[in-house]
Amino acid sequence: MTDITIAGTQSTPDIRTEWSTGRLFMQGDSYPENSYELFNQIFEWIERFLADGGRPLSLELNLLYLNTSSIKAMMDIFDLLEAAHQEHKPVAVNWYYDQRNERVAELAEEFKEDCSFPFEIIPSPQA
Amino acid sequence: MSMIDLFAMRDTFNRQQIMLCFNGPISRSLIEEIGNALRNYLAADHAHPSAAMDVFAVYIEMTQNIRHYTRDRGWSEQDSSATVVVSRDDNGHYVVSSGNLIEAADGEVLVSSIEALGQLDKVQLKAAYKEQLRRPRDAEVSSGAGLGLIDIARKSSEPLKAVLQPADNGKAFFSLRAVI
Repeated sequence: MTDITIAGTQSTPDIRTEWSTGRLFMQGDSYPENSYELFNQIFEWIERFLADGGRPLSLELNLLYLNTSSIKAMMDIFDLLEAAHQEHKPVAVNWYYDQRNERVAELAEEFKEDCSFPFEIIPSPQA
Repeated sequence: MSMIDLFAMRDTFNRQQIMLCFNGPISRSLIEEIGNALRNYLAADHAHPSAAMDVFAVYIEMTQNIRHYTRDRGWSEQDSSATVVVSRDDNGHYVVSSGNLIEAADGEVLVSSIEALGQLDKVQLKAAYKEQLRRPRDAEVSSGAGLGLIDIARKSSEPLKAVLQPADNGKAFFSLRAVI
């Protein structure tokens, strides 16, 4: 299966998928004017992965600032994971953040409130 | 033509504690570049990382709101001008202000929805935010209090202030102020 590698820009995150290990990495800020095109690729990759079998999927996130357009897109992704979880598919999110910036933890917490699958918010000493 | 009195201008900026200001047509890349400068200023100003992120977020939502509004209406670049100011108030709070031309009728709706947001406490704002987040994209009212405005209200330490001033051709100048 094809993996996605998208280099980050000032306003978009680094994105990398690993079909073989079932992991998706996102790192950086996300505030493009229109987030649909960028996030739709990720959404479709996750849909394909979940449809392919019962292998575990985990999102490894080092996201920092998200504009409201990106927040809406991330919510769609978490809703997709939630639906998979309801079908007993193994999905998880690990969201790492720098302890000096509690806003990132608060943002992750608000997403976590609406998810019943394993969702870890992990402080890391370095950025 | 008289020369622009930059010294007087500088004095006004300094007295009003203006860190950054911009007036003119605003493009996607310009929003990013000014945002970058803003982040550098905030770092140099030793702003707390949370406060710096809030100021940056409010700046992004305000300017992208203006871009979306003008683009949805197919306005020319000249009509898509924005006036943006980031300053500090006497209590040391960061203040983000933005202004742009809008249809006068849209302005009335916008001002009343911002006044309605001002009546909500933090818990009610969060509920409104989550409700708006779950609303289908095509059902979003582009001239009402969308997700961006609720997000700005949540990051502000006092109610948002909106002012509408009449302009030519059925338009009005809409000003919004957020105190972080």
